Amino acid sequence: MGGALLHTLSLFILFTLRGHFTLISLKEAASFFSWALVIVFLILEHQRKAHILGIVVFPVSFLSLLFVLGVSTDPSFLRSPTTSILISLHSVLIDLGLASAALAFFVSCFYLTLDMFLRRKIFNLFFNKLPSLEFLDRLNREFNGLGFLFLTLGLIFVMIWSYRTYATVWPWGQRGSWSLLVWFLYLALVLLRRRRNFQGKQAAYLSIAGFFLFAMTILAVNLYMGGGHSVF
Amino acid sequence: MLKLTLAGVNHKTTPIEIRERLAYPKEHLNDALKSLSRREGILETMILSTCNRVEILTVTTHSSPDPEFYLSFLQETHPVLQGHSLRPYLYHLTGQEAALHFFEVTASLDSLVIGEPQITGQVKEAYERARSLHLVGPMLNQIFQRAISSSKRVRTETGISNLPVSISYAACQLARKIFQDMGDKNVLLLGGGDMAQLTARHMRKMGVGSLTLMMRDEKKGKELASEYQAHYAPFSELENTLVHSDMVVCSTGADTYLIDEKMVAAVHSRRKAGTLFMIDIAVPRNIDPAITRHSGIFLYNIDDLKTVVEANQREREYEALQAREIVREELSTFIRWLADRSTVPLIQSLRSHTESIRIAEMDRYQGVLANLPPETREKVDILTRSLINKILHPTYQTIRQSPDVDEVREWVTKCYGLPSDLPNPGAEATSGENVSGTLSLSQPPLVEGESPA
Repeated sequence: MGGALLHTLSLFILFTLRGHFTLISLKEAASFFSWALVIVFLILEHQRKAHILGIVVFPVSFLSLLFVLGVSTDPSFLRSPTTSILISLHSVLIDLGLASAALAFFVSCFYLTLDMFLRRKIFNLFFNKLPSLEFLDRLNREFNGLGFLFLTLGLIFVMIWSYRTYATVWPWGQRGSWSLLVWFLYLALVLLRRRRNFQGKQAAYLSIAGFFLFAMTILAVNLYMGGGHSVF
Repeated sequence: MLKLTLAGVNHKTTPIEIRERLAYPKEHLNDALKSLSRREGILETMILSTCNRVEILTVTTHSSPDPEFYLSFLQETHPVLQGHSLRPYLYHLTGQEAALHFFEVTASLDSLVIGEPQITGQVKEAYERARSLHLVGPMLNQIFQRAISSSKRVRTETGISNLPVSISYAACQLARKIFQDMGDKNVLLLGGGDMAQLTARHMRKMGVGSLTLMMRDEKKGKELASEYQAHYAPFSELENTLVHSDMVVCSTGADTYLIDEKMVAAVHSRRKAGTLFMIDIAVPRNIDPAITRHSGIFLYNIDDLKTVVEANQREREYEALQAREIVREELSTFIRWLADRSTVPLIQSLRSHTESIRIAEMDRYQGVLANLPPETREKVDILTRSLINKILHPTYQTIRQSPDVDEVREWVTKCYGLPSDLPNPGAEATSGENVSGTLSLSQPPLVEGESPA
């Protein structure tokens, strides 16, 4: 809790000094991802008593922060040019979407583990600590829904920005295509979820695939495909 | 000097044939307690009598009663045991060992099923019974309060009572691992045996949405259904009922599969609910194990449930290690309380002795002091008091922390020249814990009707 508060303060100071809240480097994106993961988890833990998620959320958040510490700081980061509010919203929302997708990924892993324990009749300490399959499945659905919402809003803001800047709504190319693929996959997840028989293991597998595609797209698009995220 | 002693028999030391004869019927317990309290030296006493143990806790003056004392009492209050020697079965604990055993019993660490909750209630009942007969004094009151406190801590700080150790509870535990909310779940019970009824009772406690009971005997089925607020359905409705069921508990006497793979295949495509949890506690089995080929179906037979129970028992034993640490902490608190009680008379003696010296010295200098202004005289009075308190403070600390009050009393008497006949507010001051490990307490008046925790 203390760490989350300090992290919130540091992000607030960074955004205040800079005058906008665009995440302009992979380092900042990782830091914000780490913060978002913990914040969403703390809210969830309070509301749903999903304590078990802590065993993955905190290590992942910690590793993400280690990554942040390992990357050298660009001394000009405070003087970066003011960007459009649309880009700021885009970067933050996409990062929040990734955090939601990561949480959906974790609960999917827990779901598959518990399902395996129940089928193979393995009753160990971890089995006793896990919540019910139904609860994990519901969390999975909610995180995917949240992730889809953030992703959609993030893409809408960048589309508006793209239209204003380049007079085109969707800049096709590798980056745009991969982003659209991720969005369609999450759209499929959300729509399939409306059918009662698409749940449990099927949904867990698709969530895991969705998270990997989302994370790989963000990394690959920004590291290797250039474009708008030139500082990555 | 008060001595705490515990003697008794339990499921570990005594076969059921003896235990069942030793257990006191409730209506005889008061007479037994009164009879025990009339014996020489008994100041406080309580009897814990359950199906697994009969234990007598006593507080006596000067010396602990020997095992023969308890054997003769048990023989006297159980005429049916005449001719049987209880000596091989009886355990006899004194002082700290007796207190530790009582704490462990109350926290359900000495139970047949570790962590079972009934024993704490039984201890409370035994205490209340003794209290109502005015047989509880400060020692039993304090040991009871601390035992209940350790029991509460064990329940809240360890997972000792979280894991079920009966087959029917284990089935419910598994249901909780699959379903979050039982309020919208439909449970189908096949057969009306004891196990099915127990499961039905637990399911009702869990707030299950609807219960459907199927039995060959329609009349009995309808009676049972009404008892558990269930809906009765004939076996001919099995396939249709399965379509809407989330959980099935099967315990009929049938010697063939009632639910086979073909039926499940037909039902599976019609089902709206995703997961079907099936428990087959019948022997021979009533559900074909091949049905688990279908997704979303979990099937557990009686052996699987026994595995759950065994795993839970192992888990409880593991939790019991942590629980014993808690019990030892509470025991230390109890011992500190005893030690504090034992040292109070000595500290009071020392304080009154030094105060009398101070007053005498003040009187001696009365002529000089009388010439001083009143406010200065008051300051001198405060100064002398403060001086004495500051000098004696380390001594008070040493007395309180001393493991052997007898030794420290001798030392204090010599150092400060305490008169041996100095008025003592309590009885003889004794140690809280001496080398032989017995607990003792200077004798206070018997407290009647002290309130429990």
